[in-house]
Amino acid sequence: MILQIKNLFKWENSGGNRVFLLNDIDFTVNEGEFISIMGPSGSGKTTLLNVIGMLDGFNEGEYTFFHKEYIGFVFQSYHLIDELTVYENIETPLLYKKHRSSERKALVADMLDRFNIVGKKDLFPAQLSGGQQQLVGIARALITSPKLILADEPTGNLNSKQSDEIMTLFKQLNDEGVTIIQVTHSEKNAAYGSRIINLLDGRIVSN
Amino acid sequence: MIHNYFKIAWRNLINNKGYSAINIGGLALGMAVVILIGLWIHDEITFDQNHKNYEDIAQVLVHKTANGKKRTRYTMPYPLGNELRAKYNEDFEHVVMSSFHGDNILSVGDKNISKRGGFMEPDALKMLSLNMIYGNWDGLKNPNSIVISQATAKVLFGDKNPIGELMTISNKLDVQVTGVYKNMPFNTTFNKLEFIAPWDLYVSSYTWVKESRDNNMWDNSSYQLYVQIVNGSNMSSVSSKIKNVVYDHLPEYGKKSHPELFLFPMKDWHLRSNWKDGVNTGGFIQYVWLFSIIGLFVLLLACINFMNLSTAQSEKRAKEVGIRKSIGSSKRQLINQFLSESFLNVVFALILALILVVLVLPAFNQLANKQIRFPYNNLYFCLLSSGIAIATSLIAGSYPALYLSSFRPVNVLKGTFKTGNSASYFRKTLVVVQFTVSIILVVGTIVVEKQIDHSKNRPMGYEKNGLVMLEKVTEDYKGKYNVLRNDLKNSKAVIEMSESSSPLTDILSSGGGFKWAGKSPDFIPNIGMIFIGHDYGKTIGWELTKGRDFSRAFPTDSTAFIFNEAAIKYMGIENPIGKIVRWNNQDHKIIGVVKDILAESPFKPVKQAVYMIQYENTSWINLKLNPEKSTSASLALIETVLKKHAPNLPFEYQFVDHSFAKKFVAEERIRTLASIFALFAIFISCLGLFGLASFMAEQRSKEIGIRKVVGASIFNLWKLLSKDFVKLVMLACIIAIPIAYYGMRNWLNNYEYQTNISWWVFAIAGIGALIITLLTVSFQAIKAAVSNPIKNLKTE
Repeated sequence: MILQIKNLFKWENSGGNRVFLLNDIDFTVNEGEFISIMGPSGSGKTTLLNVIGMLDGFNEGEYTFFHKEYIGFVFQSYHLIDELTVYENIETPLLYKKHRSSERKALVADMLDRFNIVGKKDLFPAQLSGGQQQLVGIARALITSPKLILADEPTGNLNSKQSDEIMTLFKQLNDEGVTIIQVTHSEKNAAYGSRIINLLDGRIVSN
Repeated sequence: MIHNYFKIAWRNLINNKGYSAINIGGLALGMAVVILIGLWIHDEITFDQNHKNYEDIAQVLVHKTANGKKRTRYTMPYPLGNELRAKYNEDFEHVVMSSFHGDNILSVGDKNISKRGGFMEPDALKMLSLNMIYGNWDGLKNPNSIVISQATAKVLFGDKNPIGELMTISNKLDVQVTGVYKNMPFNTTFNKLEFIAPWDLYVSSYTWVKESRDNNMWDNSSYQLYVQIVNGSNMSSVSSKIKNVVYDHLPEYGKKSHPELFLFPMKDWHLRSNWKDGVNTGGFIQYVWLFSIIGLFVLLLACINFMNLSTAQSEKRAKEVGIRKSIGSSKRQLINQFLSESFLNVVFALILALILVVLVLPAFNQLANKQIRFPYNNLYFCLLSSGIAIATSLIAGSYPALYLSSFRPVNVLKGTFKTGNSASYFRKTLVVVQFTVSIILVVGTIVVEKQIDHSKNRPMGYEKNGLVMLEKVTEDYKGKYNVLRNDLKNSKAVIEMSESSSPLTDILSSGGGFKWAGKSPDFIPNIGMIFIGHDYGKTIGWELTKGRDFSRAFPTDSTAFIFNEAAIKYMGIENPIGKIVRWNNQDHKIIGVVKDILAESPFKPVKQAVYMIQYENTSWINLKLNPEKSTSASLALIETVLKKHAPNLPFEYQFVDHSFAKKFVAEERIRTLASIFALFAIFISCLGLFGLASFMAEQRSKEIGIRKVVGASIFNLWKLLSKDFVKLVMLACIIAIPIAYYGMRNWLNNYEYQTNISWWVFAIAGIGALIITLLTVSFQAIKAAVSNPIKNLKTE
């Protein structure tokens, strides 16, 4: 088991009414799973993902994550730092973890090699296509060898060919043992995963 | 990590060239101003510190009481020096009597130059720790010696060693050079002391000095006294010891003024030379304070710009903060990152500022009448500059760093992020502060200007145009009044000539002992005395309000008095013409009253004065140039005539209007400096406003696009974007006006003759600020308003 959520609630007060963003969420994730969170717009998918990633808090309930340091994020709009090159973007998480310079070089080189973007390492994000930017985003998420990858509609801004490539990559990573939770609208993308959690109005309707 | 911070800082700087230029440029300007002001203040507060015994040197001054008021004087009686040496020897290292320093003719062969100098007792050289190039500190022990400055030596003797050379002082005293001292730094009281001759020579060559020695005259104060107290003893305790030395020696009538001696320490000479009722009321130090405050404010304004622009840019940086936090950065790491960014900016600004300072220092020196050199190799300066840089980057960088690093990543990344109200309030507050400071500075500058104008336009009481004065520095013209006057008038260079004991721009002597009918016995009058020739009134064109001018047709006029209006009021005499005033054991009839002649400070009321005929004591020649001749032709003719009567004198003259204008030099210098700094303050504020406006326009580009699509005109949009800034500037006006009023009221109280602070001063400052704001903001507003709305909407 990698994480466990028990009776989790998150709400906002709007005009005297309590609006539930997450309502009695209850599930566990085991190591090696590939979970897709699905549901219509506003059903709480991203909120749930943010809570899992500890980017956002909650009001009530219990949440246990067993390997706190090891989460990698992948965003729909990539969220690369515009002022940094491909190489530097991938390297940044290592800087925060205070890896030694030689070690950083080896890890980044390895990652560039793995995603076939060695030739692009000195380019800035604006000089890349969407698919390439998302590759860099994934490389950056993977560089610290996370146990869990959280991906918020990772292919939302990509065309179908690029989407397939990214999803194949996720499948491959999952096969290598990385646990993945993705938020998606697409049945096709969800099919890459091993389990689907359906949300509606902040509630799990099927698991 | 640091390397990484600087890398991203550098790329941000390059990518936002406009903002960076405003940010760094503004900061550099602010720092340059601060460095200049710092150098200026350093120069002021190290005044006289070149003297090794700086801490222990003092001048003996005296408070004298008359009519319930204490006045502070620099003049000392002859016997005081010897008395201090004899009775208080254990308190003083050196006691040095000195003449008042003035211009004297120095001659070597047929070379004659005019140099400022004086006669001092031999210890002067050691006390002032003069740097001797030739000779030593014993140079004044022989009464026929002279010690001269390096500059004087250069003019008279060239580069050779002048020890032993013979020369003459005032065409009268033969002396031998016994020493040459290095020129004193520009910021010293004695900077213009170009020669020192022995006190004994002074005593033996001038009868009036000899008399005051021979008769042990405690009641004639005509000299200065400098002392150096024994190291380790205390100025005020020595002051209280010698307090009554003069009083105790005075005859009964002299005790009335109750003279109290005290030591005026050298460290206060330059900056604290004002006295009121026996109390030191500061002096130039107030300008040191004023400029320190201005300097700090200018730096503050530049820092405010920096903070404002950085927080304004925060939305751009917000995404970066969100990403960094989501991939593992701690808040502390982000703070460090933003602080190193601000540090990098500050370092660039500092380098730019230093270059600026080096470039403008010569102009600044000229403006401020200083000889400040750029302290390349001064450790304190380096430390101070880096100190300023670190302080600035902390002040300017801390808010953006704390603000940016506290963004919550989830809000930022979701795209719902908007910079909060608190940030925009902070920014608005800063803009208000900037404009408040700028408006205060502008009001201050206008009031100083107004005060100067007000004093310049005072009635003079005489016609100063075409008037030339010459000082009779030697006795060459003695007894030649009539010949000289005839020759000059015949040459047609002048239309009138006369002599006087004081120049037109000063009253050099004043006296008491006047008695008149109706005078209260307790009233101790002190009246300025000007000894003149019969033709004085005609020469200067004074205006009689009562009675008549002096005339050779009435032989009794030799004892007659003409008072100015101020004196008549001061003495309380009604119907003065024909009344008798008793003075110097003689009756004097009042024959006329003249309009007040503005001779002393243009910022003070005219002093009560009496004019009387005396041809003996006059040391100034006054000439009214012939208006039908050109000035240069007249001057050439005058020179020819004068050379005929005194061939060894250099022809040195002053125009009265120029000399009068010099009375404003200090105030005008302050005005120029203050107005330049005010200009900088406004410019820096505008720079910030410009950046902020452009940022706001950019932020609201979508809103502007939509408004345009639904039919807003360019004027509507301009109003929309300018409105906020106008409100802020109006608020700044409301805050600034009372502060400026209070401050300037205080400043004006330094002057007895003062202008008023009219409402239009504030109107000009306020409206000026508004116009400048509108111009600054409009550029951005109009640019945003005319842009194509489709483009703006598409970017969303």
